[in-house]
Amino acid sequence: MSDPDHSDSTVAIFFCRQLDPEQDANRRSLEKELGPKVRFFPLPCSGRIEALHFLKALETGARKVYLVACPEGACRYGQGNVRARKRLDFAKALVREVGMSDDCFELVTAPGAGLASMDEIARGLLGLKPHRA
Amino acid sequence: MIESRLKKVLAAGHFAVTAECGPPKGADPEVIRKKGNLLKGFVDSVNVTDNQTGVVRLSSLAACAILREEGLDPVLQMVTRDRNRIALQSDVLGASALGIRNILCLSGDHQSLGNQKGAKGVFDLDSMQLLQTVRQMRDKGIMLGGDRLNANPALFVGAVENPFGDPQGYRVARLAKKIRAGAEFIQTQCIYNLARFSEFMTQVRDRGLDSKVFILGGITPLKSIRMAEFMRDSVAGMDVPDEIIARMKGVPAKEQRQEGIKIAVETIRALKELKGVHGVHIMAIEWEEVVPTLVEEAGLSPRPDV
Amino acid sequence: MITAERKPFAEIKAACAPYRRILVVGCGTCVAECAAGGEKEVALLASQLRLDAGKARRTIDVKEVTLDRQCVYEFIDQIFPLVDQYDVILSLGCGAGVQAMAEVLPKIHIVPALNTTSIAETMEQGVWREDCRGCGDCKLDRFADICPITRCAKGLFNGPCGGSKGGHCEVDPDVPCAWHLIITRMEETGRLDAMNEVEPPADWARTQGKGPRKIVREDQKTP
Repeated sequence: MSDPDHSDSTVAIFFCRQLDPEQDANRRSLEKELGPKVRFFPLPCSGRIEALHFLKALETGARKVYLVACPEGACRYGQGNVRARKRLDFAKALVREVGMSDDCFELVTAPGAGLASMDEIARGLLGLKPHRA
Repeated sequence: MIESRLKKVLAAGHFAVTAECGPPKGADPEVIRKKGNLLKGFVDSVNVTDNQTGVVRLSSLAACAILREEGLDPVLQMVTRDRNRIALQSDVLGASALGIRNILCLSGDHQSLGNQKGAKGVFDLDSMQLLQTVRQMRDKGIMLGGDRLNANPALFVGAVENPFGDPQGYRVARLAKKIRAGAEFIQTQCIYNLARFSEFMTQVRDRGLDSKVFILGGITPLKSIRMAEFMRDSVAGMDVPDEIIARMKGVPAKEQRQEGIKIAVETIRALKELKGVHGVHIMAIEWEEVVPTLVEEAGLSPRPDV
Repeated sequence: MITAERKPFAEIKAACAPYRRILVVGCGTCVAECAAGGEKEVALLASQLRLDAGKARRTIDVKEVTLDRQCVYEFIDQIFPLVDQYDVILSLGCGAGVQAMAEVLPKIHIVPALNTTSIAETMEQGVWREDCRGCGDCKLDRFADICPITRCAKGLFNGPCGGSKGGHCEVDPDVPCAWHLIITRMEETGRLDAMNEVEPPADWARTQGKGPRKIVREDQKTP
């Protein structure tokens, strides 16, 4: 369950794989640095997110869940990122019903496919300095 | 023997005048008596609305009985929203027993529009079926299901029609259907668009419907520009043309009632000249005092002897 | 299908408040179709229950099961062995599902988690519109296959009423006037003349009957 003291809790990052073709390699250094405190979940499209993903992430210890999506109009599959927003809103409504603040879930729009690595994006979200190669 | 004055006036070929009386949201019969006496002599018959817009008011049946006592010829408005066929037929018999000689059959405004939104809408019958039922009780002496009545109700049977409702092309066919179902007189929704109403009447005459049913054109005098805009925007099936809005806007606030009366009188006069229209039905809800003025200025006073 | 909507969490929580061990049971048929009570929705509700308990530092034990159909006893039998391990069943079935479960499992408290609403069609993914009120006397072909009882707010058989405006119902501008639709379709298919006859009063005895309607088919029963 979620820990109000942030030092032990994690951040979950769901993201569209199209944003960084090298995402598998690019997230390694952060995963090594932060260990269980960051969890990455690649999706074939941000539109594949389900409300349950958000809730389960919370249940298993995340204090914040990000969904990183492609910019408006840039979804390879058409409307995936639009659907992502709707599902995020639904998930927010479900946690509000439980009396929790809905800012634990956040949709982030990335600059675009291939324009930033998953490492850069994630460090930005976590407020960390860029990785020295 | 009590007879329907409305029927006699129409049968004699006079241009009939009816008006609407809104019952109070309370149990005081004096309100009805006062309104009735305001209208007496200026109109042939008085309609009493039946929990209009789904707002609970003193019942139409009771109010009609009170008006009857005051010497008026009431028109019982009966909606199918609130009562099943048992209650409706029972009230038809009751109305006749109380000396009420006119009935107007309607479906009624939906209950969600009123102050009892959680009420169950009955709609066991619709207005067409109610028309048929009343005619059958009156003419054949049988109720739905076939049981014989031991005394037939004596009622002049009417219905409403909205020439401005949708679908536009179907309205005349619907009027024909109401006649087929048993309507002997029709009171229309209030008219602001004379041109459109004339077109409607042309089609009515083309089908010969004006010789099969008595048609009374509806009139509601406007009190203010706000009322005109409200009618245009928020009342279903209402057509308030721009010229009317402009006229109401064009006079200062304290002259708007006068302008509204002027427009109403002009419309009534036009209806008098419109072939196939047999009368006027004035719906001046909560402004019943204006009815005598309208009737006089339209040249319809005094009412004929029948 | 039969449609339902998930009750607000607060209501479900209040009903489950006395219990620690909760069996959440979904249904894979109608309510799964309308995304109210299928496997996914069972998981979401279970997750909400756990998050809520976690907030209050309460321990609860929530199990998730989804039956193919909750209204058929054979499917309900599957959870019979589980019942002793739980204090309450939260049913995400329609009203029939909840009651069927109670017939099979009368000793455990069963709480409905859905509000069953209607018999509906799927207009598009995520949109379900009520079509049928189960009047027991279907005459759809007389009304161009548009049910006047269900889709006309006043249930008129000889509509439209005077409140039809621009093809919409006086009750709600987002609701199409069923009679406008009926007349239009009859016109387009050259059947408008059939509308000249007055449709007689309905026989509501078929709907309300005397208590709940029951269908018995001897040819279908196992002897």
